[in-house]
Amino acid sequence: MSHSENMSPSESENKKSAYDFWERLYVPELVKGLAITTGHFLRNLWSEHDKNPEVLDRKSRMVTVEYPEQCVPYPLGYRGIHRLVPREDGKPRCVACYMCATACPSQCIYIEAGEYPYDDEEAASRVIEKYPAVFVIDELRCIVCGLCVEACPKDAIRMDHAEPMGSIARQHTLPALERKPFIYAKERLLAGAPAVHESDPWQHRKASEEPVGIHKEAHTRIGESH
Amino acid sequence: MRRLRITVAFATIFASLFGGMAAAYALGGWLESTWFKGASALSNLLMLMLVFVMVFATLLVMAERKWSALMQNRTGPNRARINLPGLRSRSLAGLPYLIADTVKMLAKESFTPKAANRFFYALAPILAFGPVFTLFAVIPAGPTIPVLGHEVAMVVANPNFGLLYIFALASLAVFGAALAGWASNNKFSLLGAIRACAQMISYEIALGLSLVGLMMAFASIQLAGPAGIMEQQSQYLWSAQLGGFDVGIPAWGILLQPVGFLLFFAAAFAETKRPPFDMTECESEIIGYFVEYSGMRFGMFMIAEFVEIIVFSGIITTLFLGGYHLPFGGEWFAKLAFFKEHPWVYGATMGMVFWLKVVVVTYIQMNIRWTFVRFRYDQIQKLGWKILIPLGIVNIFVTGALLLWDKNSLGLLGLIGLFEMAFILILMLSSPKSSLYKPLKAEPLPSHH
Repeated sequence: MSHSENMSPSESENKKSAYDFWERLYVPELVKGLAITTGHFLRNLWSEHDKNPEVLDRKSRMVTVEYPEQCVPYPLGYRGIHRLVPREDGKPRCVACYMCATACPSQCIYIEAGEYPYDDEEAASRVIEKYPAVFVIDELRCIVCGLCVEACPKDAIRMDHAEPMGSIARQHTLPALERKPFIYAKERLLAGAPAVHESDPWQHRKASEEPVGIHKEAHTRIGESH
Repeated sequence: MRRLRITVAFATIFASLFGGMAAAYALGGWLESTWFKGASALSNLLMLMLVFVMVFATLLVMAERKWSALMQNRTGPNRARINLPGLRSRSLAGLPYLIADTVKMLAKESFTPKAANRFFYALAPILAFGPVFTLFAVIPAGPTIPVLGHEVAMVVANPNFGLLYIFALASLAVFGAALAGWASNNKFSLLGAIRACAQMISYEIALGLSLVGLMMAFASIQLAGPAGIMEQQSQYLWSAQLGGFDVGIPAWGILLQPVGFLLFFAAAFAETKRPPFDMTECESEIIGYFVEYSGMRFGMFMIAEFVEIIVFSGIITTLFLGGYHLPFGGEWFAKLAFFKEHPWVYGATMGMVFWLKVVVVTYIQMNIRWTFVRFRYDQIQKLGWKILIPLGIVNIFVTGALLLWDKNSLGLLGLIGLFEMAFILILMLSSPKSSLYKPLKAEPLPSHH
């Protein structure tokens, strides 16, 4: 059986030519194509260029973002750099449980745990026993997978849109010419906005009937009320 | 603000073209009066070929980047800066890139492969550049006018075999490509050279055939001079006088020979070896004939390409677009009392018109290069042998028949030419559907039994 007999009518039509007669004359289609590029050329030559960094909102057709001077703002969900979330009093939410360091596939998190003194005046510190005395992230080793954020039981490490850190360029690891600036220490990681949840143990202190220091954080659940 | 800047830029271009041509006429007249008769040819060699063509070709390197950027909604290169106070913060339309490129080309090692034929290896870039460059010698860039009491013609040489000179030298350019590929002693550059030779030789036939109709219509192969093709295009096919102002349809080559124009344009485009005919180099995919070249030797190949664009634009302007003549009002313009008193102003204005036409044709070439994808190798050969050459032969016979029919004027030829152009326009406007966004259909796979 020959090949042509086997083809359906639409297939054989398709086989005959992909273009109709007008298109195969070529010159008219060629001029049409030239008209399109020339239209773009003239419009871009003559009209003002909108420099809005949000390219999709631009009034003109130019899509160039001139990088060092202009930056495309990252989307809200962009995860490019770690931060340690502080409590309202500025201390880290981190309880030095090592889960992030354990989850990290590139082993870029280094933690040394410290213990809050039991007779500290501040109740908030007393309900949490441990804190990171040293918390270092080597951003050069980090593969930005976000597993540390998922592993954290305390919402203490995030890779989020950190508004108080200010400029847009700070949402990713900043470039540098040596290794040292890529080793982020605790102070630098804590620079972002604090976060407070209803389920945080120190939030329940005042209304609670329990004596201070007995209410352990392990008893609290997200959304639990007293 | 941008419109103001663009307007100033356009005014600068116009003014510099005018000034350049005025300087060319002044230098020619001064040489004629102080040195010997005919010395203006030397000044034209300097002004037209070394200044105008080379400056145009150099600027075209930048213009290509900027124009292509505008066509693709980009800004284009603007990072190279001149580190001087006042210029530091300005991109100057990317012009500092020319300096950077030149310094880079000159500073790079000019490498010669060990097994290369050193003499031919060094000769090839010169052979690629020289013939193309010398083509411009027969192109008139302005009218012949009296300056300082001497007649100054704006052409380097006006032999009565002008078109044959163009064909002869244009076909020499293939030696550059062939030698470059062979002398590099590299299989891939040799293959590239073979592709280049095959393409250029097949399109030279179409190049020649496409102009035969024009030669018959004007009964001349001289370019400048009173009997030349350029001067004959100043006449009208049909004209009327509107209070001393003459309007009409000029006897331009493009109106008499629209098919010839298309054929010549396509063939000349293939001769420049630029996309969509850049099968010889294919910068991004396969290797071309100058793969072993670096530094300024490669720069010679590159600048030869741009010079070729300018020169072919000049030839197209001269043969098909009336050279330095205006489409209408030319007689009225030439008779103005001011121009009678100051002929150099007339000459410089007409020269400006010529160069503006060259710029427009150059733009069209760039536009095609940045609009269309590359032809496949078989498509290039098919276009050359099965479309352009038969069409060229048909064009010769049709032109001959029309000229025999209407022996006294070019009217019938012009009428048919206008009809052909209208036909293309109607085809363009009436094509039932646009193929611009038509999704490509995959070819059905052959079934196996």
